[in-house]
Amino acid sequence: MVKALPARALPGVTEPAPVRGLLIGTCVVFLTVFLLAPLALIFAVALGQGVAAYLRSFTNPDTISAIRLTLIAAAIAVPANVVFGIAAAWAIGKFEFVGKSLLISLLDLPFSISPVVVGLTYVLLFGAQGALGPWLTAHDVHIIFAIPGIVLATIFVTVPFVARELLPLMAAQGNDEEEAALTLGANGWQTFLRVTLPNVKWALLYGVILCNARAMGEFGAVAVVSGHIRGLTDTMPLQIEVLYNDYQFVPAFAVASLLALLALATLVVKSVVEWKVAKVSEVTP
Amino acid sequence: MSISVSRITKRFGQFTALDAVDLEIPRGRLVALLGPSGSGKTTLLRIIAGLEFADAGSVQFDGEDISDRTARERRVGFVFQHYALFRHMTVFENIAFGLRVRPRGTRPSAQRIRERVTELLELIQLRNQAGRFPSQLSGGQRQRVALARALAVEPSVLLLDEPFGALDAKVRVELRRWLRQLHDDVGVTSVFVTHDQDEALEVADRVAVMNRGKIEQIGTPDEVYNHPATSFVYNFLGNVNLFHGRIDNGTAHIDREATGHVVFVRPHALEITRHPNGANQFRATTKHINAAGPLVKVEAITEWGAAVHVEMPQERFRALALHKGEEVFITPRDLAVFAKE
Repeated sequence: MVKALPARALPGVTEPAPVRGLLIGTCVVFLTVFLLAPLALIFAVALGQGVAAYLRSFTNPDTISAIRLTLIAAAIAVPANVVFGIAAAWAIGKFEFVGKSLLISLLDLPFSISPVVVGLTYVLLFGAQGALGPWLTAHDVHIIFAIPGIVLATIFVTVPFVARELLPLMAAQGNDEEEAALTLGANGWQTFLRVTLPNVKWALLYGVILCNARAMGEFGAVAVVSGHIRGLTDTMPLQIEVLYNDYQFVPAFAVASLLALLALATLVVKSVVEWKVAKVSEVTP
Repeated sequence: MSISVSRITKRFGQFTALDAVDLEIPRGRLVALLGPSGSGKTTLLRIIAGLEFADAGSVQFDGEDISDRTARERRVGFVFQHYALFRHMTVFENIAFGLRVRPRGTRPSAQRIRERVTELLELIQLRNQAGRFPSQLSGGQRQRVALARALAVEPSVLLLDEPFGALDAKVRVELRRWLRQLHDDVGVTSVFVTHDQDEALEVADRVAVMNRGKIEQIGTPDEVYNHPATSFVYNFLGNVNLFHGRIDNGTAHIDREATGHVVFVRPHALEITRHPNGANQFRATTKHINAAGPLVKVEAITEWGAAVHVEMPQERFRALALHKGEEVFITPRDLAVFAKE
């Protein structure tokens, strides 16, 4: 049937050169103005007073504490979401159960809800005036304006990342390989480690990277629950704001450059992973 | 190991997949579960494997009730329709899997595993492909790897779910002969599911014909084909012409209108003549002739307007010198009458 099409029809399939040029040009200009230029500016300002000044920015104890806190929050939030993500993707992708569509909708909730609202709900729940506040105070548990609150808020906003990456893949792969492993005598744990996990490892890695980038970069939700105690409950994004408001542009942009580098690294790993996944699915019918 | 299935019932919501099914499979046999899709054959196979659990009834291996055991404990070899090979493992590792996951105490040594896998690679004639991944193999090769993987653990029974369903017609015929040969060599009790009557009749020692969650008939291929117990079996195995009929004083009559019975006649049991030869005949006009192949297939329209299909050998066709649009007489030589359901 394709052959039957007259050759004249071809130019109609694709746009004329000026239109194509205009479309591509628009994209390039847009990306340059709104993405590349600001990114370049971050490094330009951060390094504006030389490498020494740039490096000196990281000697500020508050900044060091902010970096440490961000790493701690990510180190807890990411593994928590890996466990949750695998469990959720497995349950949704491979089983039928009541409330499945509700669970899928809930997974996406953090995408659709403003992070500030998330922060506020935690304050209303765990804060001194909150629902659980008196009980927490009585037992000397500090969540709001402390590290646990920051970790909780980070976990909440990063919930969908791992699960969303794994879900389509696990659903597409079905149960056959697991059932085969079972009939061959493998127990549940062996099946998971030797069959399920290797089949989703690239998607899992990508999910972890996205989750980590978001965990380290989260501002809104964390800002509400952190209380901005310098050197104690400020994460990197919060510290950037603090420094910026103090007119300390070089240190502010120096910290920002770390997050920008993280984003770039994420992009690189994403490309590699997507290439790997494409290669795997290419040879798999 | 013999398999005994008794009163197995399985429902999925409102749908009854299996309705109190009984099935005996003696040791060393190769049995086909044959039926249309939705007849419950795959569900029955999965229940025997322990991949699915019945709502009622029991499964016994060698007289021992294993209904509550998991697939892992039953030591069955299961071959999946779409192979279910581990896509991230080589052919070698796929076959070795069942041996490698054994508990430390019963796990063979690395050397022994290598020997066993090599042995199986020889058996499936894929020795040179050991290092390849499933995605690099053809469909027939994958199915053979799946079979070798199932055999590696020396299963007590071998269960195959539509083992040739996803293959080309030619590979399919080769592979089913190979499976028959393999079964004769290995001798493990085997059950395979198929919707392809030729496959079932050619490969199996015994065929269980299933329909709507029940076994309609079980017997040798000869029994189910030549002596079908029910109208469903007659209809499902091979092509068939269906007539309305009635029985008067022990004589079957073919009628034009719906009556109490149905009469089945296989296309090769209808004989075409040019001249009337007596009583047991009806008139028809030839409509379409297909002379390609060992049998000539003739479609004709009966005097009451129904289509009939007749098959005859090439010699007979040439002797008749039949053409399209000619009036002929058709004699049923062998027919089966069933009460209408």
